[in-house]
Amino acid sequence: MNSQVEDIKVIREMMERSSKFLSLSGLSGVAAGVTAILGAAFAYFYLLRDPGATDYNSFQESLILLADALVVLVLSLGIGFYMSWRKAQRNGAGLFNKVTYRILYSLAVPLVAGGIFCMIYLLKGDIRTVIAATLIFYGLALVNASKYTYGEIHYLGLTEIVLGLLAAVFGRCGLLIWTLGFGVCHVLYGLVMHFKYDARRNG
Amino acid sequence: MRGGMDNIISGLNKIFESRVRLGIMSILSVNDSADFNGMKQLMQLTDGNLASHLKALEGAGYIASAKQFVGRKPNTTYTITQEGRRQFKAHIDALEQLLK
Repeated sequence: MNSQVEDIKVIREMMERSSKFLSLSGLSGVAAGVTAILGAAFAYFYLLRDPGATDYNSFQESLILLADALVVLVLSLGIGFYMSWRKAQRNGAGLFNKVTYRILYSLAVPLVAGGIFCMIYLLKGDIRTVIAATLIFYGLALVNASKYTYGEIHYLGLTEIVLGLLAAVFGRCGLLIWTLGFGVCHVLYGLVMHFKYDARRNG
Repeated sequence: MRGGMDNIISGLNKIFESRVRLGIMSILSVNDSADFNGMKQLMQLTDGNLASHLKALEGAGYIASAKQFVGRKPNTTYTITQEGRRQFKAHIDALEQLLK
């Protein structure tokens, strides 16, 4: 009886490990969330504190916001990549296998499309559309990639899409909703995933 | 581990008695194909150990192989055959029956 339970375990584990990217680290989600909150705080206090008086069409402001967003993006990706690499090493798995390429591709298609779309609207000075679109495209990318990793990513993606649509409707609260989506949601989902998958295994 | 009588009654496939072979079949049943090095890394096996089990499964007609070259290094790619998929499913069904 026990040996059959073990057999089923082996089957499940091998099916999962060969078709899913399980090196995603929960703490990297938390780090990405904190980075996003700091980036949003910078944007708010430096530029957008007084929405009535701010001229969104200023090309300089767009450039500063773009630089701010890029710093957040690079830091989040860097931390996420580093922590996933460490988790893969701990588990004795390689980071660059077929599943990794599959998940990167399924993330990249919506993200590249969304990135180009956002650049176009950023250059037009339409920050509100950019805020909504970053959330929506990011959410679509997560939903698209979630079949290759933990199930939580699917729901995180759906959450981001809903927040993006809300940001499109309530343009005034755009930055707040953006902070909720990229900051708070990442921290919350990251913590859930950390305690569900990482902490228990290491502890 | 399990006795011979057990296998005849339970419908478990004797070829799948090794966990390594179960692992190989599991990987190939959810992926279009998998290469030797990938499976070696996933299951953390030595070359010889994995190769002998692959050979046995190929001999039974459950998997098929194709040799490729990545640069100068040979790398063999494996796929599950229709018969292999059928037998593997029957084996899992039998395992499930036993656990009920």
